[in-house]
Amino acid sequence: MSERTRNLIYGGLIVALIAVVGFLIATNPTEADRVSRLGASIMCPVCQGEAIIHSPSEMAREMMDLIEERVGQGATDQQIIDELTASYGQGILLDPPVSGPTLILWLAPAIALVAGIGAIVWWRRHPSDPGDPTAAPAGRTRTAVTALILIGSAAAVLVAVTSFLQDRDETALGVADLQVEDLDEVSNQTLEAVIAANLDHPQISGMRLALADRYREEGDYRSAFPHYFAVVESETSDAGQRVAALAGLAWITWDGNGEADTALGLLDRALEIQPGSVPVRFLEGRILHCSGQSDRSERVLSDLLQEPSLTVEWKQIVSDELAAVEAREVCA
Amino acid sequence: MLAFLGTIGVAAALIGAILLVVRASVVARGKGGADLAGPVKLVVAGSMTSMAAMQIALALDDFSIAYLANNHATATPFPFDVATAWAALEGSILLWGLVLAGFTWMVFTAYRRAPDRLGAAALAVMGIVAIFFFGLMTTVANPFEVCVAAAERGCLDSSPFPWATADVPIDGRGPNPLLQNHIFMAIHPPLLYLGYVGLTVPFAYAIGALAISVPGAEWLRRSQRGTLIAWSFLTLGIVIGAWWAYEVLSWGGYWAWDPVENASFMPWLVATAFLHSALVQQRRGMLQAWNFVLVISAFALTILGTFITRSGTIASVHSFTQSAIGPTLLGFLVLVLVGSFTLFAQRGHLLASAPRVENMVSREGTFLANNLLLTVFAFVVLIGTMFPIILEAVTGTRVGVRGPFFNRLSVPLSFLLLLLVGIGPVTPWGGATPQLVWKRIRGPLVAGLIAGLLTAVTVTRNGWVVITVVLGVFVIASTGALLVGQAGRRRSKTGEGLAAAIARVTKGDARFWSGQLSHVGVVLVALGISFAANLSQHQEVVMREGDQVVFAGHTITYRAPFQQRHPGKTSSGIRLEVVRPNGSRVTLEPTHNFFPGHPNGVATPAVDTRASGDLYVMLLTLDENRVATVELDTSPMMWVLWLGGLTVAAGGFLSYRNRRQERAPARAEAVGV
Amino acid sequence: MKSGMRWVGYGLALAAVVLSVILATRFGRDPGLVESPLIGQPAPEFTLPSLDGEETVSLTDLRGDVVVVNFFASWCLECRLEHPDLVASSDTFGPTGVTFVQIGYQERPQDSSAWLDDVGRSDHTLYLHDPGSRTAIAYGVFGIPETFFIDPDGTVVGKIIGEADALTIGATIDAIKRGERPGQSVTGNTQQRPDS
Repeated sequence: MSERTRNLIYGGLIVALIAVVGFLIATNPTEADRVSRLGASIMCPVCQGEAIIHSPSEMAREMMDLIEERVGQGATDQQIIDELTASYGQGILLDPPVSGPTLILWLAPAIALVAGIGAIVWWRRHPSDPGDPTAAPAGRTRTAVTALILIGSAAAVLVAVTSFLQDRDETALGVADLQVEDLDEVSNQTLEAVIAANLDHPQISGMRLALADRYREEGDYRSAFPHYFAVVESETSDAGQRVAALAGLAWITWDGNGEADTALGLLDRALEIQPGSVPVRFLEGRILHCSGQSDRSERVLSDLLQEPSLTVEWKQIVSDELAAVEAREVCA
Repeated sequence: MLAFLGTIGVAAALIGAILLVVRASVVARGKGGADLAGPVKLVVAGSMTSMAAMQIALALDDFSIAYLANNHATATPFPFDVATAWAALEGSILLWGLVLAGFTWMVFTAYRRAPDRLGAAALAVMGIVAIFFFGLMTTVANPFEVCVAAAERGCLDSSPFPWATADVPIDGRGPNPLLQNHIFMAIHPPLLYLGYVGLTVPFAYAIGALAISVPGAEWLRRSQRGTLIAWSFLTLGIVIGAWWAYEVLSWGGYWAWDPVENASFMPWLVATAFLHSALVQQRRGMLQAWNFVLVISAFALTILGTFITRSGTIASVHSFTQSAIGPTLLGFLVLVLVGSFTLFAQRGHLLASAPRVENMVSREGTFLANNLLLTVFAFVVLIGTMFPIILEAVTGTRVGVRGPFFNRLSVPLSFLLLLLVGIGPVTPWGGATPQLVWKRIRGPLVAGLIAGLLTAVTVTRNGWVVITVVLGVFVIASTGALLVGQAGRRRSKTGEGLAAAIARVTKGDARFWSGQLSHVGVVLVALGISFAANLSQHQEVVMREGDQVVFAGHTITYRAPFQQRHPGKTSSGIRLEVVRPNGSRVTLEPTHNFFPGHPNGVATPAVDTRASGDLYVMLLTLDENRVATVELDTSPMMWVLWLGGLTVAAGGFLSYRNRRQERAPARAEAVGV
Repeated sequence: MKSGMRWVGYGLALAAVVLSVILATRFGRDPGLVESPLIGQPAPEFTLPSLDGEETVSLTDLRGDVVVVNFFASWCLECRLEHPDLVASSDTFGPTGVTFVQIGYQERPQDSSAWLDDVGRSDHTLYLHDPGSRTAIAYGVFGIPETFFIDPDGTVVGKIIGEADALTIGATIDAIKRGERPGQSVTGNTQQRPDS
C-alpha cells in the first residue's frame, strides 16, 4: 500500500469519525431546560460562589422554586435575571455580563491570545540581533526611568500602609455603647426608644438626664418628670447624675406646680449627696427669690459668693442674681 | 521559656539571613571569598529551633504563648496538634521560614560543591527573601507573642517581648474546625508550601544571574532541581487540597475556582510553562528573556497568592482574618516585581541575542504554543480573580466572577493543551515535515475518535465527555505508539523481550519519559474532571428512620441516628445501610462534627469509593424528631482524578530523581577535567 | 530590539505598581459587603399573612407611613440581641406614623410565634410570615437580620445590615422624617441558616 493510499484511508476515516461523533454529540437529547440553565447562572446569596442549582441551602432551593414559577408564568430569561439583579445587584450573576465594564473581562483573554500569537510571529520575523554585552546601556533615560519606577513603587507601598492605618469605614452612629454626646440630631422619640431598649444599661442615666433636660428646656415638664425621677431612683446613677436630676425635679416642681417647699426639699436632698454644689445652691437661692423669700435668698446667694472655688462665670451669674434680689426685683 | 526559645530562633535566623545577604553579595561581586556556611547554618538552625519550640509548646499545651491560646486546645488530638503549628497565620509563616531555610540549604550545598559568583548571588537573593519572612515573624506575624490578657478560652492581648509576664488561659480556643477534620488538612499546607517556597530557588538563580550580568543557561541548569521539586510538591499540594475539599467540605466538590485555589493554580501554570521553556533554552538556546519573565512571574504569583489568602481583601471561602500582614505582603510584592523587572530591563541588552524558532513544526514550536496557552490560561485565572477588585476600586460597581467564567475559558484552553500534549512529544527537535508529524499522529487520532464513538454509543453523548475521551485516548495512543515504536526498534536490534525493551527505552531517556508520565496523569485528570462535571447525579431526600430510597442503582435505608463523643469533638450523624448496584452492602455514616469553642459544626460527608464511581452522602439537617435531610451524589470514576493528579506529581518526582542521577557522572567529569 | 527588551521590563514593573496601588485601596473594606441596589428604588410590594394566619397585610396599605421592614428568625442570635430595640422603637414610634413590620425568615410561622412569645412583642408591630421566602428574595436578603426603611412615598431609603440598635433605628427614622435618605449602614454580622 503506497503512502498516498494510506493517507487517503486515514484521512477519510478521521473525517468520517469526526462527522459521526460530531453528529452524535450535536443530537444529544438531554438538553438542559431553562430552569436549570438559569439556576446554573445565579449565585446562591448565602454561600460563596456556588450556583443555586448546586447549593443545598434553603435559600437556593427557594430561589429555584421562584425561577420555576416565573418560567411557568411565561417570564423571559432576561426578565427573571433583571428581577433578581434588581434585588441583589449584579454580583448575584455567576457570569459577568458580556457588556459594560465586564466586557473587558471577556475580551481580555482573547486579546492576550492574539497579542501572544502576534508577539511570536513578530519575534520569528525579526532575526536575531547579535547581542552586544559590552554596549553601554543608555545612561540618563535609564536612570530617570529607574528612579520613576522606584518612586512609583514607594508611593504604592505608602498608599498601602496609610490606607490600612486609616480608619475603617465608619458604619453607623456611635451605636451600642450609648454615647450621650452628638445626640443633637436625634429626636426625643429616638432617645425614648433607646432608653426603653436599654433599661439595664449602666450608662442609661446619662441618656435619661440628657432627654429630661431637653424636655425641660422645651417646657414639656410632664415628659421630663419620669426620667428625672428614674435617674434619682436608679442604682446605676452616679452622685453627679442624681444631683442633677434632683435639681431638674426641683425646678419643674417649682416652675410647673409652684410647690416651692417640695422643690427646696429636693434641693436639700441634693445637697446631702453633694454638699456645697454650686448649681444647687444657686437654684435654691433663685427659687427662694422667686417664691418671695428674699431674705433667705440673699443669705444663700451671698454665702455662695464667698465660696473661693467659684468660677468667674458663676461669680457673674450669682452676683447678678444677688443684685436682683437686693433690689427686690420680681424674678424673671 | 518556649516563647524565649522560639524568639531566639527567629532572631538568629533573621541575623543569619542579613549576614548571608551581606557576605554573599561580596562574593557575588567577585570581591573575594567570604564564609557563607556560617550564616546559612544560622538560618537553618534558627528556623529549626523556632519550629521545635513551637512543637514542644504544642506538646506541653503551653498556653502562655498567644498563638497556642488562640489556635490550640488541650483536647486537640494527634496529628492535628502537630499541624496546628501551621494552621493559622503566624504559624504558617513559621513553616514558610522553615521550608525556605531548607531550600536555602539546598542552594548552599550546590554552592559548596562548586563555589562561584552565580551561586553566591543566588544565595544573596535567598537571603533577601528570608529577611522578609523572618522579619514578618519578628513584627506583624510573631508566632511567639506572650499572652498578657487571658480570656476564658484564648488570649485577648499579647506582647512581642518574651520576658513579658504571661497571663495564661486555662485552655485554648482550638484550631478552626475545618482544619481538624481530616488528615489531608494536616499535610496539605506543608506540601503546598514546599511548592510555593521552592519556586524561590529558580527565582534566586534568575535574579542572581541578572544581577551579576551572566545570563545564559547556567542558572537554568542550577535551578532545575529546585524547580522540579517545587513543581512536584505544588502539584501534590493542589491535588491533596482538592481531595480534602471533596472529602471534608460541603461546598460542592473538589474545585470551586475560589480565589485561594486560584492562588495556588496560577503559579502552577506558570511553573509548568517554565519547565517546558527551560528545556527549549537548554536544547536550542532560545527563549532566554522569556524564561526570566516566567520565573519572576511564578515567584511573584506565590507572593500574590499568599497576599490573597491572608490579606482579607478578597472574599473567599477560605476566610482568614485580616491583619497588618496584608499591606506588608503587598509592599513586598511590589518590591519583588519592580526590583526584578527593573533589573531585567537594565540587563535587556544581554538577553536579546537568542536564535529564533526557524520551523514551527518542531518540538520547540509546540513548546512555544504550549507556553502561549499556559500563560494565557494563567492570565485568565489572574484576571478572573483580580477583575472584581479592580473594577470595584475604579468604578465602585461590584461584579461576581465565578466558576462559569473560568469553566467557559479553561475548557477550550485545556482541550487545545491536550491536543498539544499528543502532538508535541512525537515532533522532533529542530523541525520536521508536516508529513512526518501527520504520519505519527494519524493512528492515535483514529484510536481517539473510535474511543469517542464507543463512548458516545455506550455511555453518554455529552459533548464535553466525548471530546475529552477523544483527546485523552489520542494522547495516550500517541505516547504509547512512540514508546512501543522505540522499544520495537530496540528489540529488533537486541532481541530482548518487549517489557525489557520498554524498561531500557524509558531508562535511556528518563527525563523525557518521566515527563510523559506526567502527561498521562494530565489526561487522567482531564477525564476525571470531565466525568465528574458532566455525568454526576444529584438528589436531595428527606428521610425518617427506616425509610428507604433508591438512587442511581443504590438502595439506601436510614437505620438510626447516633451521637459520638471523641476527644476534642462531638459528632452527630445517621447510619445508612446501602445496597450497591452489584448487590454488595456497605454502611455509611455522614455526620456533623462539633468542636468545643466553635459554635458552628462541620458537615463531614460519607463517601463510598468504588471503581465505577463514588456514592457521596451528606447530612444536611437532622432534627429533634430524627428526620434527616440527606444529599446524595454519584460521581463516576472519581478515583481517576486523584490517580491522575498523583501521577502528574509522580512524573515530576521521577524526573527530579533522574536529574540527580544524571548529575553524578557530570560531576565526576568535572573533577576529571 | 535591545531597548525593546528594556521597555518590556519597565512596562511590567509599572503594571505591577498600578495593580498594587489598586489593591492597596481595598484594605479595610469588607469584601463581602454589597450596597443594596434597592436603595432609591420603589420598595418591592408584598402581601403576606400574619404569623397566626388570621389576616394579611399589604405594603400598599401602609403607604403614607414610614415603614420599617425587618427580617428575623428564631435561630438567629443577632435577631435576639436586636429584638428589645425593635420593640422599644416600635412602641415609641408606632403612634407617630411609623409602622414596624417584622417578617419571619426561612422558618415555620409557629416557630417564629413561639420565639416571639419568649422575647416579647410590640403592640404596634406587624409580625408576618413569608412563604417560600419570596419577599426576602425580592428584598435581596443575604443573611439576617437585615432591616429596610421605606419612606412615605414607598421608596427604599435606608438599610441596616446586622444587629439594629434603637439609636441607629431612631436616627434613621429621624433622618427620613427630615426628608433625607440615610442609605445603608452596617452594624454587625448577619447569619445564614445554620444548616446551609
